[in-house]
Amino acid sequence: MFSQNSRNLLVVFLTLLIIFEMFAYVATTPRPREQFFQLYVLGGNQLLSDYYPNDDPNIRVGDLVRWHVGTTDFMGSVQLVVIRIKLGNQTIRPPDDIQAQPSPAPLITEFSRFIQDNETWEFPFFWQVTNASMMEGSTRILELQINNATYQVPGVIAVGGHNLRLVIELWTWDVQSQTLQFGWSVGSERRSAWLQMWFNMTGPGGQ
Amino acid sequence: MEADHVLRIRYFLILCIILAILLPLTAQTGTSTSQLTEELQPQFSRALVLVRRAEAAGATHEEVAGLVLLLNKALQLSEEATRLPSSEAQSAALLAQMNETLGKVETEATRLEATASQRTLTNRVIAYVSGGVGAFLATLGYAYTGHIWRKYRIKRTFQMRISPK
Repeated sequence: MFSQNSRNLLVVFLTLLIIFEMFAYVATTPRPREQFFQLYVLGGNQLLSDYYPNDDPNIRVGDLVRWHVGTTDFMGSVQLVVIRIKLGNQTIRPPDDIQAQPSPAPLITEFSRFIQDNETWEFPFFWQVTNASMMEGSTRILELQINNATYQVPGVIAVGGHNLRLVIELWTWDVQSQTLQFGWSVGSERRSAWLQMWFNMTGPGGQ
Repeated sequence: MEADHVLRIRYFLILCIILAILLPLTAQTGTSTSQLTEELQPQFSRALVLVRRAEAAGATHEEVAGLVLLLNKALQLSEEATRLPSSEAQSAALLAQMNETLGKVETEATRLEATASQRTLTNRVIAYVSGGVGAFLATLGYAYTGHIWRKYRIKRTFQMRISPK
């Protein structure tokens, strides 16, 4: 019915059709990629340095500490991100990456924002201890000022004023469970991002 | 003696009532920092779902950026509203403005989802049809090249000369 030449052309056409349609499929199908967030803290000059006044993590009441906190969304979709700031001492548990559990340290404040895929949200985080008491060799932070807002601190005590820390946790809104979750979910897996910045308050300046 | 006892019970009851009123108030101040994300969940969640649907349907980065801007505006309004517990009227006005903004986000996201999915479908159809057309043109090219090649071979054959060695 068909000549040898027509049959050859049909075979060539079908082969080329498969190749070209494969290209079309690859071009129109979004590629799967790893979903994650990036969380960081920079110093006063938006560099990985100058975290504390005079580069000395031993701060006093009234010393203004200038940081910049930032996060980048690599989740492939718009996310409601909440950055929670907690104040802890040496003994309080840090967040648990394996169990995806946040730190039990008291929450001081939080910053929320919607960010889209590949977007970085960076904000200034200027803070100072405005009230602290020193008793029997222990320092108790009573009041913190963050970005000109004052927060009362519920009893964080450090022996000798050593090893206090600000824990910065990343929380996201989970649409399925309709709750704010520590970290984020990728399929059935939970991941988390958090930072902690250590400082001391051994010097004078407390009450 | 009995009157004294009744008076004590009365004082105790009054104290209980005062505590019952004050305790929820103190509890509210204690959790003020995390109220926003706890209280305004449903509206924001609904808007977020719609924006994500528009994004998944193929809305561009710029189109989604417009919606994210509105979402952040609503978030800012709700934050301002929670910071004004004393002025109820002002707080209510801000919340009304926030609801309006979220309504705008929902409307725009729904419209964007329809437009984006239509555009994605069109692009996909164009890509697959282009694949078919490309394959057809490449086959024609192959056939034409084969034809030219055969003609060339015939021409060469007829141009051959027999030369004695």
